[in-house]
Amino acid sequence: MVVTLDAPSLMPPSTEPRTTGSRPRKRVVIRWWIYLALLPLAVFIGYFAYYPAVSAIFWSFFHWQPAAESTFLGFGNYITMFSDQIWWSSFRNLGLIFLFAVVSWVFPLLAAELLISLRSARWQFTMRTLLIVPMAFPGVVTALVWGFFYSPNDGVINQTLKALGLEALAQNWTGQESTALLSLLFVGFPFIAGLPFLIFYSSLQNIPTEVLEAAQLDGVGRFARFWQIDLPLMASQVRILLFLAVVGTLQYGFVAYILTAGGPDNATMVPILRMINVAFQGGDWGYSAALSTTLFLITIIISAVVVLARKRGSSTADGGAM
Amino acid sequence: MTTGTATPRRSRLERQIGLKTVLIAFAAVALAPYLFMVVTSLKTNQQFADSFWQVSFPLHFENYAVAWEQIQPYLFNTAIVAAISIALILLIASISGFVLARYRFAGRGFIYGAVLVLMMVPGLANLIPLFIIMKDLGLLNTYIVLVIPYTVGGSVLGTILIRNFVEGIPQTLFDAARLDGASGVRMYRSVMLPLSLPVLGTISLITVSEVWNDFFWPLLVISDNSLRTVSVGLQFFQGQNATDYGPLMAGYLIASLPLVLLFTFLSKYFLAGVQGGVPGAH
Repeated sequence: MVVTLDAPSLMPPSTEPRTTGSRPRKRVVIRWWIYLALLPLAVFIGYFAYYPAVSAIFWSFFHWQPAAESTFLGFGNYITMFSDQIWWSSFRNLGLIFLFAVVSWVFPLLAAELLISLRSARWQFTMRTLLIVPMAFPGVVTALVWGFFYSPNDGVINQTLKALGLEALAQNWTGQESTALLSLLFVGFPFIAGLPFLIFYSSLQNIPTEVLEAAQLDGVGRFARFWQIDLPLMASQVRILLFLAVVGTLQYGFVAYILTAGGPDNATMVPILRMINVAFQGGDWGYSAALSTTLFLITIIISAVVVLARKRGSSTADGGAM
Repeated sequence: MTTGTATPRRSRLERQIGLKTVLIAFAAVALAPYLFMVVTSLKTNQQFADSFWQVSFPLHFENYAVAWEQIQPYLFNTAIVAAISIALILLIASISGFVLARYRFAGRGFIYGAVLVLMMVPGLANLIPLFIIMKDLGLLNTYIVLVIPYTVGGSVLGTILIRNFVEGIPQTLFDAARLDGASGVRMYRSVMLPLSLPVLGTISLITVSEVWNDFFWPLLVISDNSLRTVSVGLQFFQGQNATDYGPLMAGYLIASLPLVLLFTFLSKYFLAGVQGGVPGAH
């Protein structure tokens, strides 16, 4: 979020078309065509982004019936929300999903460190390409194929266990409460193909060779280098990743929808699914709007905190990624 | 690392066998589901039951014909929606980005701020109210209802990317153009657009992958199977062919192929997009 007001001197000449005549009263001239040029953008984000957000807040105070008369409820929907067990357990699931996501960065981090240590440029390129190929596949395909892996009868995992003589370990992975959430989390294992890996790898590539040579002269080993050079230099990137992981987690949903639909017995329920179910199956649009508004506020608050923290923090952190 | 020890160990170090083994293992595990998909897509159910793991002959390419029949409308819809969205996004974002970067006017900071804020808010938070708005407008089950949210998300991201990019273009270029008598429109068309082609490409790729991957919006606003896009279509397709493993996997593969090809040939822009389009706005 760096607002680069880099060179004010660039602006004045370009703002004023060199027409003769209107020199003395520059400021009075309102260039209406500038606003005309921005109109499409304003209409789109105004009507399809800001207006829905505001209308969700408004309707969250009603027993909202889009096709009929809606009755005012005050904070009724929010009070319902506070005693909604499914809603809150869906946040517990989100917490687990977030923790798992962050812990699973071990794999991309390890892969990036190993990759950067390869001396052969050709090997580096080949391995990097192979490792990121899964990113090219649509998320739904990945979810569906993993769903196939988990399926109780012909699923790859159970078949493998059978082939190894471990039939006793075969499970209905996504169909029982004890393993359903864990099964969802393991979709995409080993989690290397993704933004964290790209960011780790490119920041490792960007460490100046002088630093590494100096470290080598001082006898810093590979592990010491990781702790003393690599990690500190990645700190600002990791903060961005943490923020993205929070936002990404709040949006988590389609994998759960495809593999478990939030079940069994709400064991894999997440807020987005709850919100959709309340509206489309329960028909309680006002309550859904309240849930939507809550999610929206949580996101805004987290983002604001992060932006403020970044502003207050080191100004050296380049906003390249944001 | 480069300091060699005894010669036999040195050559092993030199070849980095351990490192490579671990990396290959990672890649193998990561790619296994997709390889399994390819292998299974060429089998009949009988072959699947007989040889779960191995490639089994004869290869049944007709599975692809069966799958294509069902997947092809989804691909077509996705391509249409992506194309319309990209056209709108590039138009809106390039004009807005250009104006916001090169002109100073009352409300400039406000407008840009309003765009930046949207970067922080995932579109999913608007799902419910936006659905009702579209329903009231009578737009459910149309291409338009799909195009709109992608255009909004893409315009936000695109405006920011283009604004930042155009600010980086040296002012001397614009000055030179003005000396030659170029108007604002002319500068937009002849100076800024040609220079911004890489950014425009990145934005287009982000949009394609967004349209291809988005799930909940098309799930909710499209109930007519002939209008479904790939991700929701695939889920429906899975329901139809759940026990026909060959065509099922062939369908998954066909649905992935366009994105995989784009990724292969344009991976530079693709990765730039992934890293530049960061705060999950869509």
